[in-house]
Amino acid sequence: MRMDTVIIGGGLSGLTCGIALAKRGQRVAIVASGQSTLMFNGGSMELLGCVDGKTVTSPLQAMATLPQGHPYSKIGVDRIATLAERATQLLADTGISMTGSAAANHWRITPMGVAKPAWLTLSENFSIQDLDNLPCKRLALMCIRGFFDEPNGMLAHGLQQLGFEVDKIEFTTTDITALRRSPSEMRASSLAKHLGGNSALQRVADQINSLASHADIVLLPSVIGQSDDDGYRTLKTLVNKPLQLVATLPPSVAGMRMQTLMRHYFRMLGGNYLMGDSAVSGTFDGDRLTAITTAKLGDMPLKADNFVLAAGSFVSRGLVADYERIYEPVLGVDVDADTDRDRWTSFGVLQPQQYFRYGVATDQQLHCLRQGKPVANLHAIGSILSGHDAVKMGDGTGVSLLTALAVADSITAR
Amino acid sequence: MATNEIYNKEYDVIIVGGGATGAGTARDCALRGLSVLLVERNDYSTGATGRNHGLMHSGARYAVTDGESASECISENMILRRIARHCVEETDGLFITLPEDDLQYQQTFVEACQRAGIRADVIDPDEARRLEPAVNPALIGAVRVPDASIDPFRLTVANLLDARLHGAATLNYHEVEGLIINQDRVQGVKLLNKLNGEHVEVHSRVVVNAAGIWGQRIAQQAGVNISMFPARGALLIFGHRVNNMVINRCRKPANADILVPDDTVCVIGTTSDRIPIETVDDMRVTREEVDVLLNEGVKIAPSLASTRIIRAYAGVRPLVASDNDPSGRSISRGIICLDHAKRDGLEGFITITGGKMMTYRLMGEIATNAVCAKLGNTAPCVTAQQPLPGSGEGYDDQRDTTKRYSFGQRAAIGRHGSLAARIEKDNDIAGALVCECEGVTVGEIKYAMHQLHVHNLVNLRRRTRIGMGTCQGKLCSCRAASLMGEINGNVKAAQEDLAAFLDERWKGMRPVAWGDTLREAQLTAAIYEGLCGLDMAVDLKGKEDVQ
Amino acid sequence: MAERMQLCNLSENNFEQCTKCSICTTVCPVAAVTTDYPGPKQAGPDGERYRLKDPAYYDKALKLCLNCKRCEVACPSGVHIADIIQRARMKASEGHRASLRDTMLANTDLLGTMANLVAPIANATLGLKPTKLVMDSVMAIDKNRTFPAYSRQKFTTWFKRHAAKDQDAYPNHVSYFHGCYVNYNFPKLGQDLVKVMNAIGYGVHLLDKEQCCGVALIANGLYKQAKRQGRVNVASIRKAVNMDHHTVLTTSSSCTFNLRDEYPAMLDLDNSDIRDGISLATRFIYNLVDEEKVKLVFKQDYKRRIAYHTACHMQRMGWQLYSIELLRMIPGLDLQVLEQECCGISGTYGFKKENYERSQAIGSILFKHIENAHVEAVATDCETCKWQIEMSTGLPVENPVSVLADALDVEATRKANNLTD
Repeated sequence: MRMDTVIIGGGLSGLTCGIALAKRGQRVAIVASGQSTLMFNGGSMELLGCVDGKTVTSPLQAMATLPQGHPYSKIGVDRIATLAERATQLLADTGISMTGSAAANHWRITPMGVAKPAWLTLSENFSIQDLDNLPCKRLALMCIRGFFDEPNGMLAHGLQQLGFEVDKIEFTTTDITALRRSPSEMRASSLAKHLGGNSALQRVADQINSLASHADIVLLPSVIGQSDDDGYRTLKTLVNKPLQLVATLPPSVAGMRMQTLMRHYFRMLGGNYLMGDSAVSGTFDGDRLTAITTAKLGDMPLKADNFVLAAGSFVSRGLVADYERIYEPVLGVDVDADTDRDRWTSFGVLQPQQYFRYGVATDQQLHCLRQGKPVANLHAIGSILSGHDAVKMGDGTGVSLLTALAVADSITAR
Repeated sequence: MATNEIYNKEYDVIIVGGGATGAGTARDCALRGLSVLLVERNDYSTGATGRNHGLMHSGARYAVTDGESASECISENMILRRIARHCVEETDGLFITLPEDDLQYQQTFVEACQRAGIRADVIDPDEARRLEPAVNPALIGAVRVPDASIDPFRLTVANLLDARLHGAATLNYHEVEGLIINQDRVQGVKLLNKLNGEHVEVHSRVVVNAAGIWGQRIAQQAGVNISMFPARGALLIFGHRVNNMVINRCRKPANADILVPDDTVCVIGTTSDRIPIETVDDMRVTREEVDVLLNEGVKIAPSLASTRIIRAYAGVRPLVASDNDPSGRSISRGIICLDHAKRDGLEGFITITGGKMMTYRLMGEIATNAVCAKLGNTAPCVTAQQPLPGSGEGYDDQRDTTKRYSFGQRAAIGRHGSLAARIEKDNDIAGALVCECEGVTVGEIKYAMHQLHVHNLVNLRRRTRIGMGTCQGKLCSCRAASLMGEINGNVKAAQEDLAAFLDERWKGMRPVAWGDTLREAQLTAAIYEGLCGLDMAVDLKGKEDVQ
Repeated sequence: MAERMQLCNLSENNFEQCTKCSICTTVCPVAAVTTDYPGPKQAGPDGERYRLKDPAYYDKALKLCLNCKRCEVACPSGVHIADIIQRARMKASEGHRASLRDTMLANTDLLGTMANLVAPIANATLGLKPTKLVMDSVMAIDKNRTFPAYSRQKFTTWFKRHAAKDQDAYPNHVSYFHGCYVNYNFPKLGQDLVKVMNAIGYGVHLLDKEQCCGVALIANGLYKQAKRQGRVNVASIRKAVNMDHHTVLTTSSSCTFNLRDEYPAMLDLDNSDIRDGISLATRFIYNLVDEEKVKLVFKQDYKRRIAYHTACHMQRMGWQLYSIELLRMIPGLDLQVLEQECCGISGTYGFKKENYERSQAIGSILFKHIENAHVEAVATDCETCKWQIEMSTGLPVENPVSVLADALDVEATRKANNLTD
């Protein structure tokens, strides 16, 4: 089967690249081995949150200080602002409405009540523009009885530290009580399924309205709207006070929705999303990759003019670490990683871990290297790239979105 | 009893050390009618008790080299099957001979077992492969013995519970800073309450030093010298069971020659290295230890080469040099009970050490006999007859296979035996799972917090297995921390505890952080640091001590 | 002895690759509608660790698993979650007998043979209220369920009378595993396949001996019978593939999935030498066109708007791409590819009284998507999805091969492939 471009990996970067290419009329297939780490995203995108242990307020300015090997440095710091703008637009096109700016970080509120720097946040999620100038005084934190994937105490404590007055209000509805009969399945995602209908939302709204009358803003765990934001909009009209959502522990409802909306949009553009399939090997001809084989398509390889490796980091199995080494398992392209296992990790769990910075080696145009030489029609994007640290630098989603767009540009520029 | 009340009482005996030996001694003393206080500097079973194979030896391992230990083992083994049913899994064990081993040794081994009173049946290698499919199929000989697996955390807690039921007081996180000595007589201990920094003195007629390898330090505080030779052993935990019988090598004891099925996992070990006494608190496993364990482990069960390793850990055996050989060349693995009045002219002070986790009861009996002799108590020891809490009345009702239990209930019964009946389960929230790998419910957490001396998540883990599954606490630790914070009314402390717990989990994961275990670690970091910002909320420095 | 260690984790069904990320539970259609089912993570990899310790940890609620395999498709770690659950069921069922109802539903071919003999009566009786009530109460088959109609003439009878003799004349040849549905309920699909294959120069042949693939037997716990029938099928397919050098085509995603993947995974039937010789017809045809071995010519005036629904087992096989791309070749077809959702029937699952409500609740998301797509028909590769969607949306549902046959200009196609009469 022949495509214009085949993308290995169906997460944020793979989908972004696929959408950008399909929009320009390309025939694109995305091979996605299962759901992606978007399922753990609480509803925010980060461009750059921290450099050398210091919190970043203006990501665009801080970019200049990044080392050469950082993906942002490779795509060119001068292009970041434009790409960031386009990424925001692309997300909006798929139905993901986010606010924020690349020039100045705002603060997203984490499930533990920590204010973390962010670039874009879902409009429905609670975020703060300026920590010295809070948007209101009194918050009502609605705690769902029996739901353990929102650490309400820590969340309330964190919000108090930021200067809010917080009322923790526990509530339940018949739908929630019914769901709690399952010992194992009360997660944000299962709540979202059970609170989907209008009558269930009305019951939630009734509780909020009767219990949270003194608050300036009502906060609810993000347990509504796994396929669209209709549920949130409905609830918002039913609740008397301004209503905002707070991210929960994963799997994240907002993440599921972003994934679904992007996939749906990609399909609408004619893209082929091969869910549950995985690339197993590639056929090279000189400095070009000509085809990849997948586990499911078997003896019918996917051929294409261009290939994009967007398979993610270790957790997504884009990179593999074993007893002996770290490698890229599908195409066998070069990786930037220490050979000595003792150097992969550090002792303290919250210390920077070196393996986060490992990834496939690329040239300045993000072509993958194979035995030291660039592969002309194979680019790498997203978390599989070396030289960044999603956890310590807060640059994971930004790298995914922007490298995807930059590579889509290079592919279509030919 | 409130802590202050505990401080103000005067006791017949204070036992220093909350491992299996201390707990067993406390139980025995309490059952014989003595007033007892047990103090532990960390959590119960944090030392060698919680850092071994979880193997209930038949004694076969020692039959050839140490007949006395072997006899002690088989006798205790049979006792524990009766009194600690909920801590024991009767798996039986194999001693296998591989092509590289000398088959002649099998005969020596079987004869030695018979001498020690251990049933040892030579079986055909085919039969061994059928009984235990995980065994190295290349084996050329096998002997079946009554080995079993035992949960040392449960065992220790059951002893403490019974001691408390019989009037004993127990304090964890209380470190002995010194002994109260008056004219060659020990009259109590000086304690530091590590939870609040308070210093107190508690008086007793006798002090029993059951502090394992740390007993040397306690003895020093009394001006008494005991030469301990810390022997460090490292072990690896695999993510699930590959074997259902204990597998040993039929040869002289050596590195990594025992594979034990423990609850939902299996454990290979151990290495054996003499280490300086100053390093006994550093239990980080090295790369070399991991290599040795793996290379030897695959000889016992080849599938270990491709089974996920979830943790590495190490413990220190408290070996003691004989008094007539301070060089340490002739080290005994047997039980040592020192009455320091006789040995050093210091009255009211007894050290119980050496031995093995599984002979803890006998050690307790011996120490209690020594205490009773001093105090003129003539009550007989009943610890070999009386079942531990959880294994007594109601045990069989709880295991009724015709009843339908939820996963969480069944897992709790496996852990707490008949005491599982005390766990709240009649409402939806109490029955909700917090740890899904190991089936720990809200009800079980509340039970452990209220009944089993739980101050932090690591304590909770030892009492319930929370966070001991393959994900090592990825989501459950946050759920549990949140729950504990709400119940204790201190969420800030709970958040710090959560970070400390993750750090403790990471300590064991790091030496084996490759493959799926590294993926797990990355996902955990993405959740707690990336998504939640836990690293921005807490500072871990100086927190390690409380674990 | 292993020389190199810890290069990968090799456990049965990859269960230890699970990182407990819980993504599987978010896509489980059963956990979404009932609190009795512990969800795929708990029922699968979590439970398996405990079952390895003690089989008593088996939970009867595992019976609620649809075996739709959506959890496996969603799993980012490659864990065969549904296989773990099915294997556990299989182990726990040893020594137990299936109920009359389950045996009847599972024996799609036996039921079919009887029904064909008396098709008009069977259709009328199965449709009658009293009969349905009896089935509801006695057999526990839900009264709201519409049984698929039985055809008067079996596909094989039609084939032998009307088609068999012409097939040798074609330059190329394939064998056809028609399955129970084509044979007893809907011979037209088989006829459509013969029409399309003949038009591109392929003669179609039946297997020496075909029995029900057993997908329903496995789902209902009748593993021994499934294995017996599987052996017959594997032998017949082996002859077709290895002796006659035919690719064996199917027109049902579930039959294909069962023959290729479940035989080795669930029944320990070794099909490794013939697995690649079994293909879904759409995949086979797509590939011929893609490699420019054949040409398809479509009717000029053809115009339809159709939605494509990816059946769960189709998604598990990963072959929806072929059906979709084949349909996209039809110029007059406006194809709406639906987001993959479970229809809720899962073979015989939805027929059972105790599952009916759940089954409909599961399917409701898909039905809503179909409604929003504003189409005149739905295409899907699975016959049970067809029943469920037809019953629940009122729209006609067709196999892509039938859509293709309908759109194909047969004469022009024959010419384009240089076939003379």
